[in-house]
Amino acid sequence: MPWDVLIFYLIATICTLSAIGVVAVNNPVHSGVFLVLCFLNIAAIFVMLGAEFLAVVQVIVYTGAILVLVLFVLMLVDPDDLPEFHTGRPVQRYVGLLLGALLLLEIGAVILNRTVTGTSGTDTAASIAAVGGNTQALGRTLYTDYLLAFEVVSLVLTVGVIGAIVLALPERLGAASPVTRRGTISLAHPKDTDAALSPGPAGETPMPARPAATVAQPGLATAGRQLIMTKDPDAYTTPGSRRS
Amino acid sequence: MDQPLWLSFIVAFLIMNVLLGGMAYMTWFERKVLARMQDRLGPTRTGPAGLLQPIADGIKLLGKEDLIPAAADKPVFFFAPLVIFVTAIVSVAVIPFGGQIDVFGTDVNLYIADLNVGALFLLAFGSIGVYGIILGAYASANRFSLLGGLRAAAQVISYELILGLSLVGVFLLTQSLSLRDILDAQRANLSFGVLEIPNWYIITQPLAFILYLIAAVAETNRAPFDLPEAETELVSGFHTEYSAFRFSFYFLGEYINMIIISLFASTIFLGGTDGPGADTYWGLGILWLLAKTVFFLFFYIWLRATLPRFRYDQLMGIAWKVLLPFALLNIAFTAFARLIANGQVF
Repeated sequence: MPWDVLIFYLIATICTLSAIGVVAVNNPVHSGVFLVLCFLNIAAIFVMLGAEFLAVVQVIVYTGAILVLVLFVLMLVDPDDLPEFHTGRPVQRYVGLLLGALLLLEIGAVILNRTVTGTSGTDTAASIAAVGGNTQALGRTLYTDYLLAFEVVSLVLTVGVIGAIVLALPERLGAASPVTRRGTISLAHPKDTDAALSPGPAGETPMPARPAATVAQPGLATAGRQLIMTKDPDAYTTPGSRRS
Repeated sequence: MDQPLWLSFIVAFLIMNVLLGGMAYMTWFERKVLARMQDRLGPTRTGPAGLLQPIADGIKLLGKEDLIPAAADKPVFFFAPLVIFVTAIVSVAVIPFGGQIDVFGTDVNLYIADLNVGALFLLAFGSIGVYGIILGAYASANRFSLLGGLRAAAQVISYELILGLSLVGVFLLTQSLSLRDILDAQRANLSFGVLEIPNWYIITQPLAFILYLIAAVAETNRAPFDLPEAETELVSGFHTEYSAFRFSFYFLGEYINMIIISLFASTIFLGGTDGPGADTYWGLGILWLLAKTVFFLFFYIWLRATLPRFRYDQLMGIAWKVLLPFALLNIAFTAFARLIANGQVF
């Protein structure tokens, strides 16, 4: 058996196993790592096919995107919710199974259609070499034959970027919905007394200086009163305290 | 052009060992230069001028206790440092140290691989390298590590974009992504009447060079962009919980990345092996490349000794509000200039 076939089977096996790993492991970060592994092996298959540019773009774009996915997992997913996430939603599982089978059928149909009955494309090894290589050939095709599709895609992406910027805008630039800040974040006054405090200014302006807000309220700034805390401060920050 | 596979392996073996040795002496170089800038002597005890210090450090790191936090995610904790090390060292494969030479009647290529997407290959491995940082940070189960890791991820994603965009102008001029083609394109001379200057891309792409330089420092998490490991606020960031040889993988990865980025900068902007006499003696070409690389490494240390660390919002603001527009401007300008040079406009 020639070496490249052996290497292909090695890559394909790792790719498939890591794809299974993505859905099989319980830890979402591990899922992300398996996804990276899977995509890297797909990039390796692209290299074996002689499509170096596609391979590198696969690594830069897709593996880079998974990094953001892993970040989302780290920042947004509560480990406490995970058992329910994996076992408690039968509808999602069946729909997922159905969609996966559908996708498999589609891809199978495309491959069969192409290899059994279809005609081969116009690009040959010689025509690709004539324009200077794979990367150049891809660029030419993208910017001539598929220019409209390319521009539409970039427009859609631009809309996405603008949407993200609008969502992340501070209030002073976006639609004016002034959020009144009350002095409730501070633990320096007793619980349930914020109604007695003067309402803070709106938006991005800083909190008022402590004396201006409290001195006007008799009975609040009494010296020697006890600091009331609903929870031990460490409970908010210690990792693991929520898990176990 | 092609050479037998075993010869490629020998070249790769030599280059990687030289790289590892260079990394070890990079630490010595950094300590010495930093010490001189701070009016100190630096390491002097181990060997003449402290030259054996890196070896002593390596042995010390090997002999230290390997601590693993009880709450660590162990499989991820074990392989995260390897990710950054491996991706760093693999990147050297596309750096050309010269063309083809004749050794005892055999043709030997002075590079490991001539990929036609060589420059992108480097960027791709840089983007995988971030996983080493963010996964290590997550696996340590330490809040300082996690903060450092999140910072590193945001920083590297932002500055990788600048790094890639700053190179587009060079690609437009060369019409190739292969580092060998970029090297060959810089060998010709630009002539202004009697004045002949080398066609290095630092001359035709000065804005891209400055952008690259800034983004490269941020990409390797070095001062003044070393927020992921800001020791005054984050202990030491993503590698707080790593000790002994696992820590040294992060250390190796960071320094090898610096060397690779400097080699890359020399190749792309400073003509790489190009220099007086390099066309006749290939050894001189390698020396020129190394001299340019050492200049960049010195620049790194110089920055570290000179500039205070950026604030986090300044870091992000510079990337997205200053560098990105300039990078896009450079691309548009270069593309336009090329069209004019080709006679396709006016």
